[in-house]
Amino acid sequence: MADEVADVAAVNSELSAESVFKTGPVAVMTQVEKTYRLDSVSVPVIKGVSILVRHACFTVLLGPSGSGKTTLLNMIGCIDRPDAGEIVVADTKVAELNDDQLSDFRAKNIGFIFQNFNLLPVLSAYENVEYPLLLAGASAKKRGTRVPRLLEAVGLSDRAKNLPGQLSGGQRQRVAIARALARKPKLVIADEPTANLDSQTGAAILSLMRKMVVRYEISFIFSSHDPEVIKAADDIIFLKDGLIQKIQRKGPGDSPR
Amino acid sequence: MIFNLALRNLLRNRRRSLATLLAMAIGSTSILLFGGFSTNVDYELHTRNVRKGGHLQIQHRDFYLYGSGNPTAYGISQYPKIIEAIEQDEVLKTMLVVVTPTLQFGGIASNYAASVSRTIIGTGFVAEDVNKMRRWNDFGLTTIAPLSPLAGAAQDAAVVGIGLARVLQLCDALNIANCPRPETEEKADGKALPSDIAQLSELVAASAPGAPVADPRRVEILVVNARGAPNVTSLAVIKAEDQGAKELDEVSMMMQLAQLQQLIYGKSESRATSIMLQLRHSSQIPQAVERLKPILAKFSTDQPLTVLDFRELNPFFVQTMQMFDTIFGFVFVLIGGIVLFTVSNTMNTTVVERTVEIGTLRAIGLRRGGILALFVTEGALLGLAGAVLGAVLALVMASIVNAIGMPWLPPGNVDLVPFTVNVWGENTMIVGTTLALMCIAVVSAWWPARRAAHLDVVEALRHV
Repeated sequence: MADEVADVAAVNSELSAESVFKTGPVAVMTQVEKTYRLDSVSVPVIKGVSILVRHACFTVLLGPSGSGKTTLLNMIGCIDRPDAGEIVVADTKVAELNDDQLSDFRAKNIGFIFQNFNLLPVLSAYENVEYPLLLAGASAKKRGTRVPRLLEAVGLSDRAKNLPGQLSGGQRQRVAIARALARKPKLVIADEPTANLDSQTGAAILSLMRKMVVRYEISFIFSSHDPEVIKAADDIIFLKDGLIQKIQRKGPGDSPR
Repeated sequence: MIFNLALRNLLRNRRRSLATLLAMAIGSTSILLFGGFSTNVDYELHTRNVRKGGHLQIQHRDFYLYGSGNPTAYGISQYPKIIEAIEQDEVLKTMLVVVTPTLQFGGIASNYAASVSRTIIGTGFVAEDVNKMRRWNDFGLTTIAPLSPLAGAAQDAAVVGIGLARVLQLCDALNIANCPRPETEEKADGKALPSDIAQLSELVAASAPGAPVADPRRVEILVVNARGAPNVTSLAVIKAEDQGAKELDEVSMMMQLAQLQQLIYGKSESRATSIMLQLRHSSQIPQAVERLKPILAKFSTDQPLTVLDFRELNPFFVQTMQMFDTIFGFVFVLIGGIVLFTVSNTMNTTVVERTVEIGTLRAIGLRRGGILALFVTEGALLGLAGAVLGAVLALVMASIVNAIGMPWLPPGNVDLVPFTVNVWGENTMIVGTTLALMCIAVVSAWWPARRAAHLDVVEALRHV
């Protein structure tokens, strides 16, 4: 077991410590800053944060409301840009990508799981999972193989034709997980994925995501307050007032899988 | 996929989509019905003019502008040879329905018995040819032009406008309805004959040997012949026909061409002021004009000849259709504006409602162009569906209106005709209107779509 606590300053030095990680990191943020402007008032949300997200790990961002968890997730997920600092995801400096390139990059490398599921209401469960593959121009044969497998993996083979409105919250989130995994991304961003679910369903979803991490070797990064999620995490990043308080890393195998 | 998604999104909020669709359909129906009405007016006027004067007329170059002052001065010599050359042309003869000469004249008509006279403008024609021309019906109209009663009539027969018949006091003789005699004032001075003496006087006059039998339909006309001398003949008016416009109605006289030529040219070479050509189809005009050029060149050595088409000869037709086109354009702009704002409003609401969905699509990798395409496709689908529905409604309504056959008087027409809306078969108009409305829908969806495409992903996902 390698239970370690790294302070903010130590993070960058850890990058070179290849022995700590089995493989290279999926995402690295270096001295990232983000400030929102509300009318004439500037509100600094992230104040020089440096973190890395390990390959095939379960990483959780912990912190009180307003600590900057969602902003950090948005920037790692490449749907928001930092004011300063550098973000590298899947060996790509995302700042160098224009909007279309960033869209393509997200489609290929990043999956999203939202608190409110955000499924397309007019598409069936099958079509929701299929949609990212269509965006990638995947062949009908490939889609026809991959989508049923994913639906089977999340236990929704029998609900493939149902519209999101015909599914329970847990089932919708399973569809969202399958959609996030459709293009075999390197990183899945999940913003409080169990917040709108009851504890039993939340636990089931969490268990499912852990299985996916193992099965597909994908890194998950969450923001969550759920103790179950925290318990399941490999790495925990504590945030407060836009700064990292500490990073708690567990070696693979320490957290329940 | 974009198409599929757009279609499903439209079906998602059926009530709103239906309301927008109906607004577009009503707009499309209005445009097509007015367009159909305008087309019918076009066909009516077009047909009337072609039936009356043919598609093309060969004239002396200056006749159209100056001929009304002294028509006989612009007569075409050797016109039978020109007609023969036209009839023998390999291409023209396949296009021709009729080629026939006419002779226009100016003069004075007088009803001696009524002691009235007035200046007239007359035409001499070959009635059998003119009747053939009056049967032209390329647009399949229900209106039928009355045939000229001069066909088969005596050489001294004439037809006049109802207005001229009224002025010459021929109404009773011709049994014309709604054509009252002028009221004559009784003279206050002098005593009237006793009734028995007056009756006796009439009997004596009627039974007197050698007394001419007065024909109440007889008129005398005075014209200036080709040598500039006055010439007079007596004609029997066999019918009066409404000429459409009062000014024309009070001066028009039609008579047999041979009779008129005899009156004007006597024993010298007979001429015609126009050679009318009626073609099978109006679309053949340009080709016919090209074929006529060498023929006319051959006969233009000592007389400058020209060809005028029926639009040049009937500026009223062109002006009327320009007016209808302007009104159509105005109606189209108004309805287009309504469609623009309706679709734009719908798409704006849709964008606001689906902001989170837009954020999600962007997050999972749909480019801005994809979002733009999605909403523009929705607008285009709305436009297409609305315009198609409108076209179907217009076709149904046009059928109903045409079946009712409400009578109305088109501009310049003489008789009432059934109110007809030509939408069936007007494919260019239907397709054009559908495409134009679809384009308007696309344009109106463009700005909301652009706004959607440029939404900040994070803001969009945060939208409540």
